Amino acid sequence: MTWLPLVSLTGVGTVISLAVIGGGLLWLLYRSLLAKEVDRRIIFLFIFLSVAAPLLFPITFEEEATPVVKAIFDRIESLPEGSRILISFDFDPAMAPEVQPMAEVVTQHCMVKNHKVIFMCLFATGQALLTQSLDQIMSEQFPDKLDGLDYVNIGFKAGNEGVLNVIVSDFKKMFPTDVNAVPYDSIEVFKGIRSAKDLDMVFTVGGGKPGVKEWVLFVGDPGRVPVAGGVAAVVAPQMYPYYPKQLLGIMGGIKGAAEYESELRKEYPQFEDVDAPGLRMMGPQTLAHMVIMAFIVMGNIAYIVQRRRDGQRKRL
Amino acid sequence: MKYLLSAVIVLGLLASAAWAQEAEPATPVDTTAAADTVSIEPPAPVGNLRAYDSDNDHGHAVTIEWELSPDDGAGANSVVAYEVFRWYPDFWDTVQQVRADLVAARQLRASGTLDVEGDPDDYVKELAAEHQEMLSRLPEAHEQYPNNGEFRSLRVVPFGATTFEDQGPKDRLAEDFLPDYCDFYYRVDAVTKVDSIRTPSEIVGPVQSYGQWFNTGRIVVLCFVVIFGLLTIFFVQRARAGAELYVRPIAGIEAVDDAIGRATEMGRPILYVLGLGTAADVATIASFTILSRVAKQVAEYQTQLIVPTYDPIVMSVAQEVVKSAYMDAGRPDDYSEDIVYFVTQSQFAYVAAVNGVMLRERPATNVYMGMFHAESLLLAETGAIAGSIQISGTDQIAQLPFFIVACDYTLIGEELYAASAYLGREPVLLGSLKAQDVAKAAVVIFALIGVIWSTAGSSLFQNLFKVTD
Amino acid sequence: MKRSSVIILSVVLLLFLVSWIWKASVLGADPEETNVWGHAFGITFAAFLTLAILSFLYRDNPFYKFAEHLFVGVSAAFWMVMGFWSTIVGNLVPRVSESLSKFFEVPFDKFAVNYFYFIPVILGILLLFRLSRDGGWISRWPLAFIVGTTAGLNFIRYLRSDFIEQVSSTFVPLLVDWQGFGHFIANLNLSATGQLALTVGNWVIFLGVFCGLVYFFFSKEHTGIFGAASRVGIWILMITFGASFGYTVMGRISLLVGRITFLFKDWLGLIS
Repeated sequence: MTWLPLVSLTGVGTVISLAVIGGGLLWLLYRSLLAKEVDRRIIFLFIFLSVAAPLLFPITFEEEATPVVKAIFDRIESLPEGSRILISFDFDPAMAPEVQPMAEVVTQHCMVKNHKVIFMCLFATGQALLTQSLDQIMSEQFPDKLDGLDYVNIGFKAGNEGVLNVIVSDFKKMFPTDVNAVPYDSIEVFKGIRSAKDLDMVFTVGGGKPGVKEWVLFVGDPGRVPVAGGVAAVVAPQMYPYYPKQLLGIMGGIKGAAEYESELRKEYPQFEDVDAPGLRMMGPQTLAHMVIMAFIVMGNIAYIVQRRRDGQRKRL
Repeated sequence: MKYLLSAVIVLGLLASAAWAQEAEPATPVDTTAAADTVSIEPPAPVGNLRAYDSDNDHGHAVTIEWELSPDDGAGANSVVAYEVFRWYPDFWDTVQQVRADLVAARQLRASGTLDVEGDPDDYVKELAAEHQEMLSRLPEAHEQYPNNGEFRSLRVVPFGATTFEDQGPKDRLAEDFLPDYCDFYYRVDAVTKVDSIRTPSEIVGPVQSYGQWFNTGRIVVLCFVVIFGLLTIFFVQRARAGAELYVRPIAGIEAVDDAIGRATEMGRPILYVLGLGTAADVATIASFTILSRVAKQVAEYQTQLIVPTYDPIVMSVAQEVVKSAYMDAGRPDDYSEDIVYFVTQSQFAYVAAVNGVMLRERPATNVYMGMFHAESLLLAETGAIAGSIQISGTDQIAQLPFFIVACDYTLIGEELYAASAYLGREPVLLGSLKAQDVAKAAVVIFALIGVIWSTAGSSLFQNLFKVTD
Repeated sequence: MKRSSVIILSVVLLLFLVSWIWKASVLGADPEETNVWGHAFGITFAAFLTLAILSFLYRDNPFYKFAEHLFVGVSAAFWMVMGFWSTIVGNLVPRVSESLSKFFEVPFDKFAVNYFYFIPVILGILLLFRLSRDGGWISRWPLAFIVGTTAGLNFIRYLRSDFIEQVSSTFVPLLVDWQGFGHFIANLNLSATGQLALTVGNWVIFLGVFCGLVYFFFSKEHTGIFGAASRVGIWILMITFGASFGYTVMGRISLLVGRITFLFKDWLGLIS
């Protein structure tokens, strides 16, 4: 019964933090009814609290995959074992907290399905993230997977869209070796792959340029390669016009990652004990969203009250 | 519970047995026939075998098509796969030997371990020349068909398949290189589950692979390029000839003039941000025109202008633009190289620097025109705190919401291009704006027709827009 | 320097040192950790920089400025070094020179030498003429090359993916799976894949494209029916922007969660 005090401690912490945040919001509502101004720093403080509290005292929610996310999951699930999938880490450390969970969960899925995966990145600062994240996943969860045989890390290449424009017709020309200087021809994963057209699927994770859109424009459409994308929430609405004709699925923001993680856990229960950053981050997300919505409501109440008072003053 | 489960299993087994009695197996792979291999008859061969050079490629590919064997999915239902064969001359093996030697020699030479008599480079060159010479004799070797050669298996494709593309790389040193302009002959065997019981087809050939000059699958793209190009040229010519091309007034453009006046009165600078785009992005190009106009007025009013840039090339162009604007305003002496300067090519570092400028220099007006990403709100928000009048314009849909809420005027998407044409009154910009309007009208008409066809259940019109590779 | 500034600076420095020593003692407990002081300094310094940048939310201050300048300087240098190693050493050197390849220790294949790479080298050098007062005009030639090739390359790709494919995606049936009004009423449901939802969705796509295009039509004044369609267009744009804004809130909160997780987990060790 050693877990009991922990659970209750978490429960008490959650209740106290919710009470503090809720009480504070009510106080602000009262002030806004009196048409008193709220300092912007108070808003920052509330956002900080609403993010910090669920991190210290975790709250988790069930997630149901939406069709746009499920489409990616189903595609990877239905591909025969040993299919070649390319995963591109097109992000830098600034975007990482939001999009890295997507890259990681798809990597886990591909590995558990025994697909052969090629990892690359179009952002110079992404290479360190890619190598670090790959080392961690492979050593902790898939120690039997071999570099070169089951997956390969070909790293970063300068040239943005130019790189994509070349690999759609010739992979080796752009990536003569992998990051460990192993020649292209001696890498098992590349057997039978001359260009990106020979890939069974591309999954690209990003939020800047080059990103998912460039993959659609330079590889997906001209090479008729199925492309799926995980994107930072900011650019997600821009990607929807490409779905489902040009993009087979979209993971938008951390919610997309959380949906994929829950789908993976449902299908493969062995991932229950593995950290799921997407699901973990949905607690702070939900609370912060509620606080923001409360502020929007309060702001509008204050605005209406103010306008009414001004109207009365004018009439006087 | 246990009994219920057993009952369900027994019932299930009974039902499947009954179903097996009635139904034809869906595939010829059935588990009960392991012993009666003798009873399998050779299947009927595939029909109507055709081989032709694959369309719209750079060569090195032949497509083979056939009609299913009558025993595939019907008849005796005995076909499990098709095996595709190509005729190889014996000479091919000699070529492969030389190729393998050449590849090995090149690898050893690269690592500096090639141990031969004489110069290793010369040795590799000689081998390469020999390989080249042999390749040139390949068409001749193929002409000897059916002598001095044999059919070799290329690939086994599952039952139900009616096509196979025999494709190789264009790299002559690749093991599966497929030479162009050689007479190829193909054969397709209908294979049963007993490998020896199979029926070969007729032989088809000769067929040669070769590259095409034009990719006809992309003809739609060409049509649109030509139509848009002609439209643009037509309208640019009209604008040059002095035709009055109407552009509706755009709210926000007039605001730029007022904002410059306000900055002059307050004696504070104007900050002009060109965004994160490169010099080739349309938004940045449009922004240059607006910058030119702003710089000209700034020079006339003798106000201060600050242009921090993200891209070195954009900086170069912006310097040119501002310099010529100062010249046009008749104040070349007021121009200083420090007006336009380079900050850094890291997104958030750039924002941090520009935000610093906003808070320290306190510009009266901030103009953000061009391509923006995540930094839009960070910039506009800081500008709002600093109390500046803010005018923005971008074609990045994701960033427009932030500009709309945080700025006084926002040019949405194409309005940015239109503003540039409206302000510049340059025939090229005006002409292209007009051409775009015609294109938009065309899209509306296409959409109407397409929707009507589609509602009527036909994809005929949609197929006109299909691009294939 | 004011007295209060000196006090604040001393307090922050002291806190930094305490945090460094404390972090080193925590990391020292791990027998596999080889570089205790260095690692502890890295984490503490990263936490300090995070807090320094976040302090901007309160107001502009010297710590924020320090972090900002450090960031600008480091990233400018980083991109310069990256540009040199990935473009010049990574892409150019192995294709043109054996001795340089040896010097930079990059694999060199004599038979993959491609002297066409000297063309971009020359263009790159021409670009540097920007620095010269008299020869500045020369840099316009490589500039023209860059603008021209990028525009050409992008034009075809965008025309295909963003124009032709998108226009044909607008050709949606306005009556999905229509089998008469009776059938429609009999099978009416509100599910996302139901006939009603799909039909309404297609109408939104069609009208959205139509009215949006009208808003961006610059050759005619927005009055009458044209004006009404244009107003619907701007509403649709605003709804889209609203959805976009909502998504962005999620994105920004994720980034904040990332930073706070770093502070709580890697620095303070409050969460595991």
